[in-house]
Amino acid sequence: MKWLILGPEIYFLAVAAVFLILSMTRHNGRRDFSTALFLAGLGVVVTLTTVRLEGSLFHGAYRIDLFSQVFKGLLSMGFFLVVCLCSSLNGIREKRHSEFYLLLATCTLGMMLLVSSVELLTLYVALELTSYSLYVLVPLRSGGGQQMEAGIKYFLTGIATSALMLFGMACLFGATQTTYIGELALKLPGLLNTPMAFIGLLLTLCGFFFKLALFPFHVWAPGVYQGAANQVTAFVATATKVTALAMLARLVSMSDGNTSLAHVLIALAIISMTYGNLVALVQKDFKRLLAYSAIAHAGYALIGILSMNPAGYAAALFYAPAYLAMTYTCFLVVVKVASDGRNLAIVQLAGLHRRSPLLAMALMVGVFSLGGIPPTIGFTGKFLVFTAAMERGYFLLVLIAMINVVVSLYYYIMVVRAAFLLEPDEELPRINLSAPATILTAVMVVGIVAGGFFPRYLFQLAGAAAKALQ
Amino acid sequence: MNVTFTSFPYLSAILLSCVAGLLVILFIPRERETLVKGVSLVFSGVALALSLYVFCAYDRGLGGLQFVEKLLWVESLGIHYFNGADGFNLPLILLTGIVHFTGVLTMVELRGRVKEFFAFSFVLVLGVFGFFMSMDLFFVFVWYDVSLFPMYPLIAIWGTTRKEYGALKLFLYLLAGSALVLPGIVYLAVASGLGTFDILALMRPGALGPGQQRFAFILFYLGFGILAGVWPFHTWSPVGHVAAPTSVSMIHAGVLMKVGAFGILRVAIFLCPIGWEYWAPVMAVLATIGIIYGVFVGLIQTDLKYVVAYSSVSHMGIVGLGLSTVTAEGLSGAVFQMFAHGIMTALLFSSLGYIYDKTHTKLIPDLGGMSKVMPVASGYFIVAALAGMGVPGFASFWAELTVFVSALKVYPALGVLAICALVLSALYMLRVVQRTFYGQRSERYAHLPDVSFSLGLPRMILVGAMVLFGLFPRLMLDLVQTAVIPFMDGLLR
Repeated sequence: MKWLILGPEIYFLAVAAVFLILSMTRHNGRRDFSTALFLAGLGVVVTLTTVRLEGSLFHGAYRIDLFSQVFKGLLSMGFFLVVCLCSSLNGIREKRHSEFYLLLATCTLGMMLLVSSVELLTLYVALELTSYSLYVLVPLRSGGGQQMEAGIKYFLTGIATSALMLFGMACLFGATQTTYIGELALKLPGLLNTPMAFIGLLLTLCGFFFKLALFPFHVWAPGVYQGAANQVTAFVATATKVTALAMLARLVSMSDGNTSLAHVLIALAIISMTYGNLVALVQKDFKRLLAYSAIAHAGYALIGILSMNPAGYAAALFYAPAYLAMTYTCFLVVVKVASDGRNLAIVQLAGLHRRSPLLAMALMVGVFSLGGIPPTIGFTGKFLVFTAAMERGYFLLVLIAMINVVVSLYYYIMVVRAAFLLEPDEELPRINLSAPATILTAVMVVGIVAGGFFPRYLFQLAGAAAKALQ
Repeated sequence: MNVTFTSFPYLSAILLSCVAGLLVILFIPRERETLVKGVSLVFSGVALALSLYVFCAYDRGLGGLQFVEKLLWVESLGIHYFNGADGFNLPLILLTGIVHFTGVLTMVELRGRVKEFFAFSFVLVLGVFGFFMSMDLFFVFVWYDVSLFPMYPLIAIWGTTRKEYGALKLFLYLLAGSALVLPGIVYLAVASGLGTFDILALMRPGALGPGQQRFAFILFYLGFGILAGVWPFHTWSPVGHVAAPTSVSMIHAGVLMKVGAFGILRVAIFLCPIGWEYWAPVMAVLATIGIIYGVFVGLIQTDLKYVVAYSSVSHMGIVGLGLSTVTAEGLSGAVFQMFAHGIMTALLFSSLGYIYDKTHTKLIPDLGGMSKVMPVASGYFIVAALAGMGVPGFASFWAELTVFVSALKVYPALGVLAICALVLSALYMLRVVQRTFYGQRSERYAHLPDVSFSLGLPRMILVGAMVLFGLFPRLMLDLVQTAVIPFMDGLLR
């Protein structure tokens, strides 16, 4: 019975096994998709039933608590949502479809293991399981040569940061003689003024800075976003960011409000959002624009974590699902508009308001939410993050972040402009959404707006999950 | 859940009528344009009726905050859904109701993307209503931004002159303002140590120290001042007004600029009275420059809409001047001026919109002798122009009088300058009226029809409101006094 608390992990392992078997049979894209959709939907149910469970396994290296389970729930939803986008998986050759789902499942499994790991080596192994799945997923796209460049870039920067992270972990172990996060949290606060412990912690964080695409570990993001298949990018842009935020919250909370660490993180947050927003201003490709916007958002989300107070962790945990919802909505539009699996230039959104009013509206809500305009979940996320930072007295940081928000509105409004104002050169056909796709889009729009107007329950949940961190 | 309703939630009902209007429109097929217009009319009519009811039913003898609706929204952050009506916001709620309803009436002839137009309009008005009635800083900010973002599509899609430039400039300027307001709001809530966003709780004396108030005041003043068209942050407003379609100009100049001024009043002045007294001279100087600047730049415009737009800058300067006097009269004058100017500008833009729709020009040299072609349409414009000059018998006369009397007491030099500028403004308004409506009749437009009764209806409502409050200013001033006097007494304590 004890193993039941590992339900989601076992389930996703089984999903991966199913696709491993399917990949060895005759290729059939429709069958793979329906299987994946069914299994992903069931996965959400399985994960949500385990939300209230608690426990500890493998000599305390693996902990199941509200924090980990909430994130597993989010990850399973992310997986399900991304699978929903795969009804016409044109960016990937049909005979690779089962591998695609297989890798998606192992990647999700890796991230689930990650959010429960409370021991550095377990954490590292889980992280590598995630990363290696992504290293293969990124270049899986058919055609071009772009995906290869993206894949190699991702792989090289990825293993480089893994090396940094391992070195950091070694330093941490050297300084504290333990790899358990619980014990580290007790010993570290006193040791953080020593260079070894400080550098160790900072380098350990690097692995997740990389996943979050925080400056200076952002270099892979534009290439990968643009080079990978749209569905893969959607997964990279949503699920991995959520995990990275969770892990950063867990690791930073060990430092117990160390100011030097906060200062380093403040610098990174400011550079990341400023850099991301400024470079995004000149982008032409929508996915590339979203990559730079992700770099900027890494900065905003980090503000919650670097506040190092309960409100801040709760805000960061609120930010994770908010970011998942709004980014996913943007990718939903990308996938539907570029149904042949190409990349989507911003000007190709022209005339969207006539081709599909619903998608146009979803896009507007999505980008305005990314831009932090109320009443959207993106605004509420920023508001919570800023309130937490203000409690620590970081007024200037909040002001800089707000100025960044205004800068970012310029490129978000350009996307809205393309969808609502520009007319295409040649008449394009209407985009007919299937009934499930219509419902999905409407649910995302309603979810984003409702999350902005009624943040209460989500915020309570985030607060409760953040308590489990301590 | 901690809920307090003192009566039937009329204020929320106003908001709900906007939400309902929006939702119904979203589910109407886009080809059914007449139906969309009808639905908009009905729901904006409901909102107007409710705001009129609230305006009349407010107990003036009792004063204070009435129609209170308070509901705990997020307890850990101290956010409440908190609406209330008092002498400050009731005139503006009524103004919003009138301008939105007449705006919808004005746009009955709209063609092309009708559904989206009215949907965005409802979002805009929802934000404005919410902003005026909200007593919680979090919601103040939410509604503030809700009222701003629909401006971009409304101007960029349905606008005219340099519409994309105007829309983008307006959008970025106004949201830059919100970049100062949001840190300010969060700062106040955190600095007070009360852990609440409730305005009433935060405005208790002693909640905020003098230094905090001075600092926060300037953030709010600049942030909201951009929207209020305070010189030198007004540059978005003429461009935006000119580019916007008629009803959007009406809402925008008539109501949205008041959102800025009201923000200064409700957030900056209410919560940071010490900061208010400290910065008042700066406000007065900027306001006076705005009045004079608007008049002089208006003098040389050849585009009718620019003339009106610059007159707005100048009239909003009067609101600013009233706010900067730190006296009860100045404050009541400012609130009355917000209302009066809102109605007046809406009428100016509305009558101008008709002329533009028919002649497809708004350049003064191209027009001329219009009073012979369309006497009724011209009549509306001339009436509004007279009101703008501060002719007695119109609401703006009383408002301007009250402001100037108090300004002369507090800042004699600035007051004299402002009054001189206003005399000049009479000159340029008369010049515009003379060139556009009298003189040689332009044959090109001789065949154009005059305003029909149905299209004239919105203008009649606006004229009616202007004259009503011009002849019986106490209808409004007494109401405003019920809020101003306790507020000022509270300060002097």
